[in-house]
Amino acid sequence: MSTRRKKPQTSPRTTAAAAPRRLPVGPIIGVVVAVVLVVTIVFTFGEDDDAPLEVGSPAITGEALPIFDAAATDASVGMPAPEVTGTDWNGTPVSITDDGRAKILVFLAHWCPVCQDEVPIITSWLSAGLLPEGVDMYTVATAISRVRDNYPPSEWLEREGWEPPVILDDEAGTAAAAFGLPAYPYFVFVKADGTVAGRISGRLEAGTLTALAQSLVEQ
Amino acid sequence: MTGPLRPATLDEAADRLHDPGSMSVETLSTLFAVGAIAIALLVLATVSLRVAATWSAGMRGWWDALVVSAGPIALWLGAAVAVLATAGSLYYSLGAGFEPCELCWYQRIAMYPLSLILVVAAARADRAVGRYAAPIAVVGIALSAYHYLIQQFPDLSAGACSASVPCTAAYVWEFDFVSIPFMAVVSFAAIITALWIDRAHTSAGAQPER
Repeated sequence: MSTRRKKPQTSPRTTAAAAPRRLPVGPIIGVVVAVVLVVTIVFTFGEDDDAPLEVGSPAITGEALPIFDAAATDASVGMPAPEVTGTDWNGTPVSITDDGRAKILVFLAHWCPVCQDEVPIITSWLSAGLLPEGVDMYTVATAISRVRDNYPPSEWLEREGWEPPVILDDEAGTAAAAFGLPAYPYFVFVKADGTVAGRISGRLEAGTLTALAQSLVEQ
Repeated sequence: MTGPLRPATLDEAADRLHDPGSMSVETLSTLFAVGAIAIALLVLATVSLRVAATWSAGMRGWWDALVVSAGPIALWLGAAVAVLATAGSLYYSLGAGFEPCELCWYQRIAMYPLSLILVVAAARADRAVGRYAAPIAVVGIALSAYHYLIQQFPDLSAGACSASVPCTAAYVWEFDFVSIPFMAVVSFAAIITALWIDRAHTSAGAQPER
């Protein structure tokens, strides 16, 4: 009996069908990593990481207000408002003093999305001429941080067409602390006699702002 | 903290920014953001391929190729993502001085254990890891997605940004849409995708469980 071994029947097609298709995962990952590094270098090349932080050095006189608590009676009502002298980002001196005029102080943080929503509301409100005669509006740009969104505050406010004078707070938030800021945005309403009429933190609609501003001149 | 408006974390962050010997926070954030976008695109491509494979035999072949090729290292890839996410998270809090908000802590609770679990599972080729890693990643992605949502729409959470550590504010905001919660969403999605490919590879019978 023949015990001749049969030659195994193979063909290129059979051989090819048995081998599964493979993806070059390693090279793909390598390419992705290289692209990520190149893109990062492109986007960060020339970044001025050593530019000074856009902050000021406000000087505060007077007694600091207690931290505002919306859930409690505001103990600062009737207290003399602190006075602040500082500069804006151009070095222009700005002073918030007891000058016989009522004031609305607006404290803004560039990275705060609520502040970013609030600025156009106030800008439109001012453009509509709703700031009463005898009332001035001042801004304190505070909580300034290079690593957070929407820095620097100067570019943001200039882009929004912000007109009220701005005092740059220092890194420690000294001006904000002096007025008892608990959250951003923050509003302090000061009567013409220099005493605090009221404070509000958070979003402020135009109608409420109008009513509060009017109350400063009606007192 | 030395007072409610002088968080030591911001001071430390400012000091580190002026340290000429260290890569700046902004540069690393750009690197992390670009990496997150790349991983997001890979995850989307993988999901799209699987969906296309249900209708197209040709795409089915590519999906099978992906499973065969990436399956053996899928757990390692997932572990790498978890470890990098954990390291990045620790860098931001301990290196850059970003104080985690409440939602950040919950996401960390999901991610940090995954970095250990997946490394051990990859080393042991433990094909059952998906049963307990996937639910953790799903919870993590839900938390991250919610956190990202309230950063985009802060009205959903509150009408003000807390002076302490608000979850609505973004420490990092690259390319107008990449924040830390976005990176977390992508990381959890990548881990889930890696577990999925590993399961598909196991189901194909290429690697039996130990």
